[in-house]
Amino acid sequence: MAITENFLPEQYRQNNKLGINHNYLDQQFSDHEVIWAKMREVVIRGDFTLGTEVDLLEKEYAKISGTNHAIGVGSGTDAIFLSLRALGVGEGDEVITTAFTFYATIGAIVTAGAKPVFCDIGADYNIDPLEIEAKITPATKAILPVHWSGKPCDMDAIEVIAQKHNLAIVGDACHAISATYKGRTAGSLGTLACFSFHPLKNLNVWGDGGIITTNSDELADKLRLMRNHGLVGRDECHMFAYNSRLDTIQAVVARHLLGKINHITESRVAHADYFDQELRSVEQIIIPKRDTDIYQVYHIYSICCQRRSELQNYLIENGVDAKVHYPIPMHLQPAADYLGHKKGDFPIAENIADNTISLPVHEFISRDQQDHVIKLIKAFYD
Amino acid sequence: MTKMTIPFVDLAGQFRNIESELTTAFLDIGRSGVYIMGERLDSFELKAADYCDVKHAIGVGHGSDALFLILKALDVGPGDEVITATNSFIASAWVVAATGATPVLVDVAEDFNIEPALIEAAITEKTRAIIPVHLTGRPAPMDEINSLAERHGLHVVEDAAQAIGARYRGRRVGSLGVAAGFSLHPLKNLGVYGDGGLITTNDDKLASKLRVLRNHGLRNRDECEVWGFNSRLDSMQAAFAEIKLGFLDSWNERCRAIAVKYQTGLADFVQVPLDQAWEECVYHNFVIRTEKRDELMAYLLEHGVDTRIHYPIPIHLQDAAKDLGYKVGNFPNAEKYAKTMISLPIYPELSDAQVDYITQSVKSFFDELGKK
Repeated sequence: MAITENFLPEQYRQNNKLGINHNYLDQQFSDHEVIWAKMREVVIRGDFTLGTEVDLLEKEYAKISGTNHAIGVGSGTDAIFLSLRALGVGEGDEVITTAFTFYATIGAIVTAGAKPVFCDIGADYNIDPLEIEAKITPATKAILPVHWSGKPCDMDAIEVIAQKHNLAIVGDACHAISATYKGRTAGSLGTLACFSFHPLKNLNVWGDGGIITTNSDELADKLRLMRNHGLVGRDECHMFAYNSRLDTIQAVVARHLLGKINHITESRVAHADYFDQELRSVEQIIIPKRDTDIYQVYHIYSICCQRRSELQNYLIENGVDAKVHYPIPMHLQPAADYLGHKKGDFPIAENIADNTISLPVHEFISRDQQDHVIKLIKAFYD
Repeated sequence: MTKMTIPFVDLAGQFRNIESELTTAFLDIGRSGVYIMGERLDSFELKAADYCDVKHAIGVGHGSDALFLILKALDVGPGDEVITATNSFIASAWVVAATGATPVLVDVAEDFNIEPALIEAAITEKTRAIIPVHLTGRPAPMDEINSLAERHGLHVVEDAAQAIGARYRGRRVGSLGVAAGFSLHPLKNLGVYGDGGLITTNDDKLASKLRVLRNHGLRNRDECEVWGFNSRLDSMQAAFAEIKLGFLDSWNERCRAIAVKYQTGLADFVQVPLDQAWEECVYHNFVIRTEKRDELMAYLLEHGVDTRIHYPIPIHLQDAAKDLGYKVGNFPNAEKYAKTMISLPIYPELSDAQVDYITQSVKSFFDELGKK
């Protein structure tokens, strides 16, 4: 008899009855008939496996990123993995990254064959540049800053270190479409930048998808080979590579949304600013450091709070889908056992993991809903 | 004979035949907001497992990842060797290289599948697994391969990318080794509308490991058991695959019927693939062989018939393989076939009249050649 035992996170469940949700996909895609009509054209044309829609999306994405190239791939995870491999990162190499991220950042490093070397974070939840230099060894090949929650890292500082030690920078920009750092787009920060189009990202598709941006012609050419079996034309294989393509029908979805990305981003920023403004006075809450020269796009709106679990339960009981991104930092995951870390190694990451809570700020949240959330939080502490 | 134009594939034809089912599924998923994993994937996995007569079917990103993840789950890595056929799609070899192991290539027999008699000579102390490819939808000689593997303590991983539904001694491919990788690429007999893949296995432990590996190594939302990959079959693609699975046997039967027509009509002119008594090939490709390959291809194209070569350059002669140290002459069968093979159009939507036209065109080519 056949068996399945798939793990499905709560946020995807169809019967999630919470009123104020992190998942807004049914609202966002209320025009799904329009998307189907566009996908249908692709299917009838038989234009699968890269194809026109992917080409167009890549051009449009490069344009909004201000980069020479954008290369569509299978997922944000693959974007990081392929970027590392394109730089030649492999067995025996080390990649310096943050202890406070999503598993995929580390999964991509390990899949490439390299060792993840963790740094602690700062008050903005991003890698602390002051931690990086001490971690550099002869085996270090790249720095992998994660623009957590859609806030670009302190790139000036990171770039100085990278330059001094001749290291590549691979930006994990999976949360950071439309974010800017001192006027520079997230896609233009680092040697390569990696984006995710996962259904819960600011720009999303109906499945897995991702894209890599870069100004390097050489890396772009290599990545185009690597994502498609190493093939030049149909029959010639120039390198043993991988298969990681953005589905053509998913490029249709991404293009459909790309025109709305400014609205999506601006809504999120406005909702986050409002929460900041209203919650700053709550003494049990610490709003993370905000910077005026950084445009943070709030893929996640997270703050630190006292009695986190109780507050989360209280909010959930009252119909607010409060989440934790994420309660266990990377160095304390079972998968990291072999690296020999222990509690206390990265105290700020651990502290944030223990106290952070995330509130929904997507474009469909109304001012009334926000006020309701704020009232609940204040009532909880009263 | 009135000229016809016959494409090598006709995906639009298949789509139109089942469009209403596909549209309903799509709109349901659109409304549900569940685009990753979920009920649609569960449901397809259960049906695919039943179809292949195995305990577990696991949807993944694509056929190459299916094989790659199986190898990773079997702990194949740097320093290991994995044996596979040199006449295959390049992915059969790169999945091995991607784990850090070395692909070891072996020549193929008359049926385009790996030659068991040559496998033994390729086995070394480092060999961990054999990947027989069921090329064109024809099962590889699994009894011989399995007994070899058992003798040497090796894993057998089926590359069933082209062969869903094929049978070997009454058993479905996908149930003939420790695990099997299928591709659901649009051009496959069971194809979705983008990249998709499937793993089948009867091994409970391996299945659990694969379900974790394909989804970031996650035990649950917050705990990562092992640094994993992201290789999931999109819910939407799983729904399409489930719909198509309901038609697969009838589609495969139609392909087999077309194959019989080709075999009957063409055996006097070219080498045609033939079914052995114990096998049921699903003819993902119908590959004929002739010394006049290039001329015949050009002639057919001129007469409106689109054909392909699977594959014109064997893996050992690809640029990508240059570090493996092979050279021309290493695998004479594969090299000979690479110069003499043609794949004729074969898909369920192909009409008898079209098949007759193609057959007739091949005959005319040889008739005209005889007159020269």
